[in-house]
Amino acid sequence: MNPIEAARKGKIKILALGGHPAIVQSILDFDFLSGKYSPSVVGLVTSNRKAEKYFFGHGEVLIPCYSSINVIPLEIKKQVSWMLNLQSGRRAFESTVVFFEAFPKALGGHIFAENVPEKHSTELIRILGSKYLITGPSGVGLLVPGSLKLGAIGGVDLRQISASKLPTPGSIAVVSTSGGMTNELIRAVADAGKRISFAAAIGGDRFPVTSLTEMLRLAESDPNTKALVYFGELGGMDEYEIVDMLKSKRFTKPVVAYIAGVIDEAFDEHVQFGHAKALVARKDESARAKRDALRSAGAVAGNTFPEFLKELAKLPEKDFSDKNMDMDKFMKREKSILSTREIIDFENVPVFVKGKKLLAKGDSVFVKTILEALLGKPVKSKITAAFAESVFTLLIDHGGHVSGAVNTMITARAGKDLVSSLASGLLTIGPRFGGAVNAAAEVWLEGVSGKKKPAEMVESKTKVGELVPGIGHLKYRVGLPDPRVEALSGFAALLKKHPYYDFAREVEKVTTGKNGKLILNIDGVIAALFLDILNECEGFSKNELREFIDAELFNAFFVIPRSVGFISHFIEQKKNDEGLFRLPDELLFVRKKKVK
Amino acid sequence: MSRIKLTEYRAKKLLLGETYHGISIRQGEPVKLPKSVCFVIKVDQGVKKRMKKGLVLLDQSPAGISRAVSKWRKKGFSRFLAEPLLGHKEGDEQYVSFERVREGIRFMHAKAGGIEIESRPEAVKTFVLRNDFDMKTAAQKTKLPESFLKHALEVFENNFFAFLEINPLVVANGKTHILDAAVLVDSAGTFFVKNSWTEDDIIEKTGNARAEKNIADLAKTSPASFKLTVLNPNGSLFFLLSGGGGSIVVADEAELRGVGKEIGNYGEYSGGPTREETYLYAKEIIGLLIKSKAKRKALVLAGGVANFTDVKQTFMGIIDALSESAISLRKSGVKVFVRRGGPNEHEGLELMKIFLKKEKILGSVYGSETVITKAVDDAINFIKR
Repeated sequence: MNPIEAARKGKIKILALGGHPAIVQSILDFDFLSGKYSPSVVGLVTSNRKAEKYFFGHGEVLIPCYSSINVIPLEIKKQVSWMLNLQSGRRAFESTVVFFEAFPKALGGHIFAENVPEKHSTELIRILGSKYLITGPSGVGLLVPGSLKLGAIGGVDLRQISASKLPTPGSIAVVSTSGGMTNELIRAVADAGKRISFAAAIGGDRFPVTSLTEMLRLAESDPNTKALVYFGELGGMDEYEIVDMLKSKRFTKPVVAYIAGVIDEAFDEHVQFGHAKALVARKDESARAKRDALRSAGAVAGNTFPEFLKELAKLPEKDFSDKNMDMDKFMKREKSILSTREIIDFENVPVFVKGKKLLAKGDSVFVKTILEALLGKPVKSKITAAFAESVFTLLIDHGGHVSGAVNTMITARAGKDLVSSLASGLLTIGPRFGGAVNAAAEVWLEGVSGKKKPAEMVESKTKVGELVPGIGHLKYRVGLPDPRVEALSGFAALLKKHPYYDFAREVEKVTTGKNGKLILNIDGVIAALFLDILNECEGFSKNELREFIDAELFNAFFVIPRSVGFISHFIEQKKNDEGLFRLPDELLFVRKKKVK
Repeated sequence: MSRIKLTEYRAKKLLLGETYHGISIRQGEPVKLPKSVCFVIKVDQGVKKRMKKGLVLLDQSPAGISRAVSKWRKKGFSRFLAEPLLGHKEGDEQYVSFERVREGIRFMHAKAGGIEIESRPEAVKTFVLRNDFDMKTAAQKTKLPESFLKHALEVFENNFFAFLEINPLVVANGKTHILDAAVLVDSAGTFFVKNSWTEDDIIEKTGNARAEKNIADLAKTSPASFKLTVLNPNGSLFFLLSGGGGSIVVADEAELRGVGKEIGNYGEYSGGPTREETYLYAKEIIGLLIKSKAKRKALVLAGGVANFTDVKQTFMGIIDALSESAISLRKSGVKVFVRRGGPNEHEGLELMKIFLKKEKILGSVYGSETVITKAVDDAINFIKR
């Protein structure tokens, strides 16, 4: 099948060799705007890292990096259908050969580099030219609207992709030697109210792997293409290939062309223009000669560029509809500074207790052993084990935003080991982060034993400007309860009495009366119910509970599960391997030094 | 990137190795020549039709060489080549050339070579050499020694030649003698060649303006691309263009509207240069514009819709250069006309517009919604006024 047709029909999976973040990003933007569900770039072969972060739509994705083609996992390897070679002219030849040896079934590729030696180009033509569609060396690549953006073609700026209507397939093929003019023509087609069937920048080098003739053959056999728009320059004999194809009816669709370079006539000697090929060596290589030859074969070739644009506007186009895109939303997207995965699903907190029935199993030997170790004797009640199990489950992680997780991740990205990174996270635990379970237990114990009324207790705290531990949340409030607190509160129904829990709820009534955010939080509810359970189900006296509080036992119920969470974030960072973390300038406020 | 001329000296040294006895004479390098031998002395700077121009002298003694060299130096030449004179019969002169083409190496041969070859194109036979077999066939048909063809092709491949012409090639008693050799090498091969040619063996265009040389130096040290050719130093239209193709379209418009002779320079920058690189490039062109004695002068800052060159970054570099000369530009009534598109187009154009307005040198500013030739059209109307 015509590889352009194949690109429209099959799944596009691109392997990029070398790095050029702006180009890769533009491909992902094109994919998203074209309505794809996943990026077409499946991997980058660069030696730096394990992954690079890009936007896909408004969100971000990590594209895996590989040090060489050999180490790409099979499941990724199986998908690859196109090569995007972004390496320098020094390495382009070798890496292209290696790519097509590894992916003989690929459809084609693009070589971005300028400065690929002629000898290498002709060798690529010899070994790959007849089998694959390869744009370049040099130029900006290949575009099949809505399907494939292979290179910088069509621009790297979101607004350009949108303005040139790249997601919408049409009937006009754009072929050009010049990368910049390919883009100019793509835009001109869109501005003329038409859309592209495909666009290819052949590249300004002397020996493009896929030649102009072959590109025309593709345009001829492509059922979607109804007309060809061509930009050529002085130098080389390529345009005579079009002339031959038109005369011999091997190309039968309308051609509108502009051949640049009459300026050469203003020079005494022929000048080497921007592209390698742009030098007149023979009389028939002049812009004028080529233009006249095209005309004689039936093509429309404008004298001036504006004239050429007028002719372009006359070409036919079928009906199409552009996808609506909210570009403002895109322009406002902001890069994240840390990437991690979601370790616990907070949307679906499990139900531990339903009515008076315990749903949590509480039969984990591991949890029971932990409790025995901490409490100094085997647990008697299933409720105790089930409660500990539920707390451990809920507290493994609370997202990558929290300070302990952030410290773990930053340490991991600094290249440190597991224990150092974990320690860095654990050392963050204290009065403001995760260390409030024990403090809350102390307040509830004091409240219940001292027979202090909840209102008095709150009053005495606020008088000296202290907060009540176990109370208050940044996000949740009255009317928007914390699902974890809800889930754990169910345990109260399993107990005969629950004075600590009752006291905590009474305190909450007082505080929420002042501010809806001052609800009983996860630390507070864990502390209260653990006190009640240890008292009722395990028979610990008030004095024994006091000893546990003095030994900070209640914080252990946070430290134990959260260590798992920190380790998960550590492992994730090692997998992502995004390199040393640095706070972006705009997120840091630096006070000016005082001038004396 | 492009095909560049190698000196005859280096070309022959690569082809003949130790057996070559030519001596390269450069500026300020004293050369000792054996007194007993007769020499050919020639200018070695890729000049076409040297013989007719009197830049080759046969049968010279060392003293004659000194005289010829000092005379040619006064004419501005700087590279010369002295070779022991080789006597031969004119009938032994043949013509061969090799050129890299898409399909392989195009080999051309004529039984009767010499300087008149161009007037007898029908005498030239063409072969395309793709492999050993093609080479052997060509050797048989041309009756050239196979070893000679094989060796020439090897040198061609190993040294990243793009074109090699030997005319005349003297074939006598099964031996070949290379009397003259012209070589174009592929500049992209610079990184790959070893014990071969270097930058020093490349012939630079004669009469290069200083600005051209500065830009060539800039291009050498940047992954981006910079080109500059001075056309009419006293022109009224100066071009600060971007993109290999777009720059020609803009320049074409000037030629098509009949002001080709007014064009001060052609050039382009592309491939995502940094702000600093663009500043250095713009500075040279502004310098040329200021030096021009034309009465009405315009600067055209135009290009297509860039794929990945950042308009804002490059425009900031151009603004840096323009601000250095803003007073002088304003005093001589220069106006700047802009058309450009690409990444960060809006921001770049806005910056430029505000700057040009502030400095009172604003001609017009257009973005990608306007045709690429609009700025140059405005500039032409301005200089014609």
